Amino acid sequence: MEAPRHNRVLPALILAALVAWLGADLVSVAANRIVPGEGIATLDAIGWGGMLAGTLAMLSVAVLGFRPNPRKYRIAMAVTVATLMALPAVLALAAARQADSDMPQARLGIGPGFWVVLFVMLLAMIELRTRLGGSRLNGWALMFPVLLSWWLCLSWWLEPLALLQEFRGRSDQFVAAVLYHLALVGAAVGTSLLLGVALALAMRRFPALQRAGFGVLNFLQTIPSLALFGLLLAPLAWLAANVEWLSAIGVRGIGWAPALIALVGYSLLPMVRNTFVALSEVDPGVIDSARGMGMSRGQVFLQVRLPLALPVMLEGVRITTVQAIGLAAVAALIGAGGLGGFIFQGLGQAAMDLVLLGALPILGMALVADALLGALSERLRPGGAK
Amino acid sequence: MIELFDVTKRFGEETAVDGISLRVESGELCALVGTSGCGKSTTLRMINRLIEHSEGEIHIDGQPIRRFEEDTLRRRIGYVIQSTGLFPHWTVARNIGLVPRLLKWSPERIESRVDELMALLGLPRETFADKYPDQLSGGQAQRVGVARALAADPDILLMDEPFGALDPITREALQDELRELQARLHKTIVFVTHDMDEALRLADKLVVMDAGRIVQQGTPLELLHEPATPFVESMLGGDDRGLKEASLVTVGERMLALGPRLNATARVHRDATLRQALAVMFREHADRLTVIDDEDIPVGELSLQRLVGNTRHE
Ligand SMILES: Nc1ncnc2c1ncn2[C@@H]1O[C@H](COP(=O)(O)OP(=O)(O)O)[C@@H](O)[C@H]1O
Ligand SMILES: [Mg+2]
Repeated sequence: MEAPRHNRVLPALILAALVAWLGADLVSVAANRIVPGEGIATLDAIGWGGMLAGTLAMLSVAVLGFRPNPRKYRIAMAVTVATLMALPAVLALAAARQADSDMPQARLGIGPGFWVVLFVMLLAMIELRTRLGGSRLNGWALMFPVLLSWWLCLSWWLEPLALLQEFRGRSDQFVAAVLYHLALVGAAVGTSLLLGVALALAMRRFPALQRAGFGVLNFLQTIPSLALFGLLLAPLAWLAANVEWLSAIGVRGIGWAPALIALVGYSLLPMVRNTFVALSEVDPGVIDSARGMGMSRGQVFLQVRLPLALPVMLEGVRITTVQAIGLAAVAALIGAGGLGGFIFQGLGQAAMDLVLLGALPILGMALVADALLGALSERLRPGGAK
Repeated sequence: MIELFDVTKRFGEETAVDGISLRVESGELCALVGTSGCGKSTTLRMINRLIEHSEGEIHIDGQPIRRFEEDTLRRRIGYVIQSTGLFPHWTVARNIGLVPRLLKWSPERIESRVDELMALLGLPRETFADKYPDQLSGGQAQRVGVARALAADPDILLMDEPFGALDPITREALQDELRELQARLHKTIVFVTHDMDEALRLADKLVVMDAGRIVQQGTPLELLHEPATPFVESMLGGDDRGLKEASLVTVGERMLALGPRLNATARVHRDATLRQALAVMFREHADRLTVIDDEDIPVGELSLQRLVGNTRHE
């Protein structure tokens, strides 16, 4: 008899979620923006009914992981998606129950219990998607109802949510910051892509460059980001003072210019390394036969080497992009603005919800960039996705 | 026709090919045999200028190859290698159409040529045209490799251990197919292998190389009868070399046509090799066999004495 194989991941995840759900504060309530919030456990926040429903839903996902089969996995996936859709409603319910006409300024904070449950259920969704197979696209399609539910609740029933109030207070600034962040990352990745490919090609052409090139790039990578910003301050300030057209386009010792240069500096190593390795590791037999069939050097490069290297090169773009999205937040420290501005402002004011307002979109952007570029590189694999 | 005159190739200090002269007639299959590292691939790759020779001259149809532009020369020469070198991101059909596309044939002409080649190599269009190389077995992939090399109908085919990575059964099947193809197409083929049995089966002309030099060249039977050096003899299998010779001669060449005595019960086909006939004698404990044709009709008789080439007592 075949030993029954249980899914070990789901019970472990659900155990963590249940501990948080039953043991940690689900939300917090503060009288106004400045005072620290007071934690509220799940039972007090949403009552017996809500707590039981949540517990049962999560337990059922764990139970379905025993002696699993595709049907059980599909049911577990449905429950998981439903739970993720219900989470904003949980917040709305908590908000409604805490509403107090004496305290119109009161704000609802999201507590550790809620974060853990949200995070764990997302992990459970990833686990289930892996088990069920299917494309990345299907996984994203499942996120759609979840996002829709969040959007609906945020629009109508979550007014007291502190995060939302921080957003309401600076929605124009928020949109501008997101766009600025994207522009900074786009410029950095675009520049390092061009420079990186050029450098990788030069290293392939002149092998003597390899040691020196990788040496410098590796060294760049080891400088802490703040130190790099600091190092750039003086030379850029000097350039701005002495070169008119540079100062005319906005180059200063602080601001976007050092941020962009530093981001490009950090991005170059993964970009060059992946491009170099990708181009070098194309099967020599394939190149040999391409030459032997009478393809010119240009044809071999454009029709054979480059397309075969592209998936690995895109991997470099993916790493670079995700890294730049995070690093661009640090750039706020030297006045580059962007979403990092909210984070540092929030840290300064001890307003955690403002920090979240900066951090959550950064997380979202990183996840989306990772998924999109990952899917693209998968599609470009030879003979793949057909 | 391919001619090498005193050709040498040096890689820095090392001499990979050392003053070899060779002539491959049109329509002839010439096998280069030797241990690994003796310069076979280098010799082959000098012919399509993937490697430039250091000294001497190489002629194709009487013209020095350096007179041609490299890519033009290569598009006129088919090239097949052990790892197939198929482009993994192209379908089978597109891979086969590579050289015609480089030569700017019209799309219709390319398509009909690809169809023709897939039929020739036993690759049904419906099944294989849209597959990617990863989806093929080793034998199928190498058939595609051969089809691609033949696509623009070159006179010359260079093959570098094309069947070296295949299992023995597939290898023999492809060797047979190559023989049949060659009987129809009469290409001028230079075939590199380290497998002497393969060389003996396929070659019109056999060239044994050692340390960058040609040790002996001639027809397979010439080499089997008179190996010039102990090295050639050991390459040919030492004492086994008699059996290798027996594999090259058919029963029909040695039999006594419709002899007086037809009472032998053990039978052998006219096109079988002497080696196979010997095996039948051994198995049946018989010293004479009845030779039959395709219709199972006796056409002659093969005695052990005739088999070994001793006809004095008949
Ligand atoms: N591109 C090259 N650079 C340097 N040495 C080479 C090169 N190609 C082949 N050689 C050397 O030339 C010799 C013959 O190689 P090759 O023709 O590939 O042998 P074979 O095909 O008979 O196994 C070997 O010693 C090999 O190391
Ligand atoms: Mg070789």
